Amino acid sequence: MILKLMKKELKELLKTGRFYALLITFLFFAISSPPIAKFTPEIIKSLIQTQDTKGIIIQIPSPTWKDSFLQFFKNLNQIIFIVLIIIFIGCISEEKNKGTAVTIIVRGIDRKKWIISKFLFQILICFILLIISYIICAYYTFFLFSHFPLYNSLSSTILYAFYLIFVISLIIFSSSIGNNAIQSGGIFFIIFIILNIINIFPNLNSYNPIYLSTLQNQWITQSVNWQSALKPILSTLIMSTFLIYIGMIYFDRQEL
Amino acid sequence: MNIIETYDLCKYFKDKKAIDNLNLEVPEGIIFGYLGPNGAGKTTTIRLLLNLAKPTKGYAMVLGEDITKSKNYLKKIGYLPDVPNFYNYLTAREYLAFIAEISNIKNYKNRIEEILEIVDLKNEKGRIGTYSRGMKQRLGLAQALIHNPEILILDEPTSALDPKGRKEILDLILSFKEKKTIFFSTHILADVERICDRVGILKEGRLLLNDTIQNLKKKYNRRRLLLIEADNPLRLMERLKRCDWVNSIKLENENGILINIKDISISQREIPKIILEENINLLKFEFLEPTLEDIFLEVTA
Repeated sequence: MILKLMKKELKELLKTGRFYALLITFLFFAISSPPIAKFTPEIIKSLIQTQDTKGIIIQIPSPTWKDSFLQFFKNLNQIIFIVLIIIFIGCISEEKNKGTAVTIIVRGIDRKKWIISKFLFQILICFILLIISYIICAYYTFFLFSHFPLYNSLSSTILYAFYLIFVISLIIFSSSIGNNAIQSGGIFFIIFIILNIINIFPNLNSYNPIYLSTLQNQWITQSVNWQSALKPILSTLIMSTFLIYIGMIYFDRQEL
Repeated sequence: MNIIETYDLCKYFKDKKAIDNLNLEVPEGIIFGYLGPNGAGKTTTIRLLLNLAKPTKGYAMVLGEDITKSKNYLKKIGYLPDVPNFYNYLTAREYLAFIAEISNIKNYKNRIEEILEIVDLKNEKGRIGTYSRGMKQRLGLAQALIHNPEILILDEPTSALDPKGRKEILDLILSFKEKKTIFFSTHILADVERICDRVGILKEGRLLLNDTIQNLKKKYNRRRLLLIEADNPLRLMERLKRCDWVNSIKLENENGILINIKDISISQREIPKIILEENINLLKFEFLEPTLEDIFLEVTA
């Protein structure tokens, strides 16, 4: 049943054009991040030269593969994050709002399976796109900088994959609770802001899924330390499971 | 055998009793008209029967299963909501294929063509988003029928349709008579009178009556409506208005007046006298059978 429901999700993503929006966004930032990192210092230099600042010595460090991946993760954490929310936040709440959920649920379809199918589908799509965009970004980084360490970049991408599990769990939770996309978006951002505030406190941040995005950058700029990631990864998985479970229970008891 | 039975079924919201101690019986193989004014609790009853809402108290047995304990019976029910909503980006065939898949129907392609033929959507190739209200209603009926359910639950299927669309849907429902049990909620009395075998009348969450239309007409036929056609109906009306055994009187057509009388025997004696005294030529004298509308208005008053 879960596979049948996932098939419908795929059809929906393709037929509504949302898949192409997601694909283009991932590909665009995978392709553009390395050249932006490479040419930004030169662009800045040329801008400074045109502004009558001769005589002032401005030192801009030469870009490296690190800048390329930092740029890539910055885009993943900002623009792609927003695109994912826009595309997926109404996945359950809008089906409730429009009444399409009722025609499925009255057939005796297990509500929990319906939620799981949506979660697994979103994870699958995001992971596939993440892998493709990582390969493209790695290729262009190597092409432009003639060097990139596989271990650091891959480890950071795996960290991002864990972070993505949390983001999608939060999307599913918010969508199960809310009665339309706007309500669900509100729930999502309230929780997300609270987690960002918690991330300020040094004692608590290692248990916070948001901390994974800080670690990604550290692993690129410094070195990979899986030991330091153990706590945030475990707490991310526990919190994701909890969010999905609460979402399922809530939706199971909800009157449609 | 009853296919739907409810026992003291209640659904209370914060400040409203949407359904209050509902004891309903729907025998197998009939078209059951579930009547009531807007807000009477018809849709709430359906939501309870379909497990979309939980009862506050009481329970119901559908196809021999307790709805508070099991959901298996849902697989044998076809449901058409009052405003059916679909995935507008799909075509009717794609939508029915998805419904067939999740309903575990094997080799569903022929079944889809068969159903599309029944609801007259076989030649529609476009996306559902481009469909008219009537077409969506027919597609709604198709998705409700695709798994050949034992019970069809239709929530006000004709309320938003034009007369042509209404007739099409009613004809379709009528074609399933005796093949399926149909639970049909509506506030359009003419629809019920046309197709239903049995009716339940609901008001403010309470079931006021539940009987066959024939029995109801017998029960409420106290011969109190009288149609008289005469050559001077206005003069006759003036005289009858003064009689204390007349409840109400209205002009029905050019020659006819409709009289609601308190006592049949007095009217039988007095009306011929009045006609004679006033020198009126009598054209027609008929006691009318009550319509479902009369019964409905009397019961819900």
